[in-house]
Amino acid sequence: MENLSEKLIKEFNGKLDAIKGQNNLNIVALKNKKLIKKLSWEIKNYFDILYTLTVVDYSPVFELNYVFSNYENDDILIVKVNLDEKDLSIDSITDIFDSANWEEREAYDLFGIKFNGHPDLRRILLPEDWPGHPLRKSFEINDEVRHWTGLDLKF
Amino acid sequence: MEESNEFSYPGMSEVIFMKAQKFIDTVLNWGRSNSLWPLTFGTSCCAIEMMTFGATKVDSDRLGVLFVGDSPRQSDLILVSGTITKKMARRLLNVYEQMPDPKYVIAVGACNISGGLYHDSYNTIDGIDRIMPVDAFVPGCPPRPEEFLDAVRVLQKLIKENKSKAQKNGKS
Amino acid sequence: MEHKDRIRMNIGPVHPAMHGVLKLILDVEGDTVVKAEPEIGFLHRASEKIAEMRYFSNYYPIMDKLDYVSALNMEILYASTVEKAAGITISERATYMRTIMAEIQRIMSHLIFIGSLGEDFGNLTSFIWALRERELLMTIVEKISGGRLAPMYMCNGGMFYDFPEGIDKDILEALDKIENKVKHEYSAVFTKNQIFLSRTKGIGIMTKDMIKRYGITGPIARASGINRDLRKVSPYLAYDKVDFDVPVEENGDTYSRFIVRLNEILESIKIIRQCLKQLPAGNYKTAVPWIIRIPKKDTFVKQESSRGEMGIFLVTDGSDKPYRLKLRSPTFFAIRALEELLVNVKVADAFVIVASIDPVMGEVDR
Repeated sequence: MENLSEKLIKEFNGKLDAIKGQNNLNIVALKNKKLIKKLSWEIKNYFDILYTLTVVDYSPVFELNYVFSNYENDDILIVKVNLDEKDLSIDSITDIFDSANWEEREAYDLFGIKFNGHPDLRRILLPEDWPGHPLRKSFEINDEVRHWTGLDLKF
Repeated sequence: MEESNEFSYPGMSEVIFMKAQKFIDTVLNWGRSNSLWPLTFGTSCCAIEMMTFGATKVDSDRLGVLFVGDSPRQSDLILVSGTITKKMARRLLNVYEQMPDPKYVIAVGACNISGGLYHDSYNTIDGIDRIMPVDAFVPGCPPRPEEFLDAVRVLQKLIKENKSKAQKNGKS
Repeated sequence: MEHKDRIRMNIGPVHPAMHGVLKLILDVEGDTVVKAEPEIGFLHRASEKIAEMRYFSNYYPIMDKLDYVSALNMEILYASTVEKAAGITISERATYMRTIMAEIQRIMSHLIFIGSLGEDFGNLTSFIWALRERELLMTIVEKISGGRLAPMYMCNGGMFYDFPEGIDKDILEALDKIENKVKHEYSAVFTKNQIFLSRTKGIGIMTKDMIKRYGITGPIARASGINRDLRKVSPYLAYDKVDFDVPVEENGDTYSRFIVRLNEILESIKIIRQCLKQLPAGNYKTAVPWIIRIPKKDTFVKQESSRGEMGIFLVTDGSDKPYRLKLRSPTFFAIRALEELLVNVKVADAFVIVASIDPVMGEVDR
């Protein structure tokens, strides 16, 4: 596995950073978000599925953690991409990893991140007319939200 | 002014009518309380304990709670067991409104009483008595199946004493 | 005359035949489904947001209610994640105890699956039988932890209480009963029952390619011939010290998914028996303060829950609460496959296929 992250880093010279494995994780950081599709094609040779997609809100920066995994062994690879608050959009990788479909919809639903080229980018967990993106740190849970019964939601 | 001083005795027919009505009510309430057909509105954890409530060990059938209808049109009790989210609230009311009168509600679990564990969540309702009248609450997270039996007993007593929410609202 | 008119059916979220609060939007022509769209989110309780407001030790009750049918698996996963992030090691006895609890919970979860699958085509006997057997184990969980469905037994560093005196005898007794029933009695209502066979064999076939495309794991993947079980691939707890097989079927239909789970019950019984034999003496808990602070790092842990590979991505920032906690739920991926799985099947079979996925919506919606 060491080889893979080294190989990827060599291929994307300068654009990809290795992060010293915390807890024995293979983590690479992608500097340019436009390269996510190219990187995904490269990863597709080694990994079968997008295991999960975690968005972390370090406002004003949103960090996307793509976790890739495969069926043969236990290896996982984490790719970190940083998005700026002003431009929360990134290319969708659904055409490369089909399992990313609902994970990207969830990230759109809860964080409001736009995935360009996603075939069906709608809210998935919350109703379509739900106000706001609740998992952002700026979303405050006050009494108004807690006591709201949701009967006025249309969907 | 003169009329208010006048005291009128109820006529014989009225007395008979009132007594008959009381008798009919008693019979009806006896029947209603002993054949509560529930609509199982199970959404989450409490629904699994509700299944145990209907299965062999606890056996709801002996109180006349038969899990047979499962359609709002032929149930008179709705067992709301599990968290009701904001997306679900309208659906719950929709189902509730389809039930024929008199209808009784048992709210199961801490979530339906006050929000419970999810009291500070952004997507759950803190207590379903915000949106519909509730006759009996079953505390617990999730409650033991035996507590369902207790709630049914409480509801039966309420119905027999004409004190359930539906009867109070004149919908019996 | 053939009716070619398309009708859109909204089934769920509240429907007697539906499992949990899943909603299916089916386009049907006659009795055949031509387009299926699962809709989720009716039980979205914001578990991930709540994690950011709770101390590490106070999040266990919420983990219980995620996959409420296999609550102990969830607790063990969360405990492992926090312990890995905070660098807490647990005693050997604790690992064995956790293995036993995880497997007891797996049997209980699969029994619920068996019961509800049978119930979906009117086989109420299977439902009553499965719950009867489950109650045996429920009594044991109750004796050990004090709780039934949501035991809240695990804590950072081990378990809240030790096993009570003489519990191993009770467990073995219950396991013997269940093994006997599963091996000899269940064949009458399942594997030798013509109605069951005709309703499940060849229905809802998932190919290997489909499994890999959707990212499905767990018993569903193993029913389609993918031999992957995290207990074998990357053994955690005490799984490397016990001997067990991973049941794999090749056909990928509803029947295979049933058989895989039925065999997993027998394997779990095997694991528990070995664990009880090997159970070492010692501490059941490492002393850990209630409020802990974990330095800034990312932790990713995945384990085999009864529905597949459940994972937690934990981001900590040095405070006493998680900065972000993401739950990777296996059924979230499996439910999506219904889009493809339900096309060209009869409406009556659709419910059996949904039941064979064994969704627990608490875990899908989180």
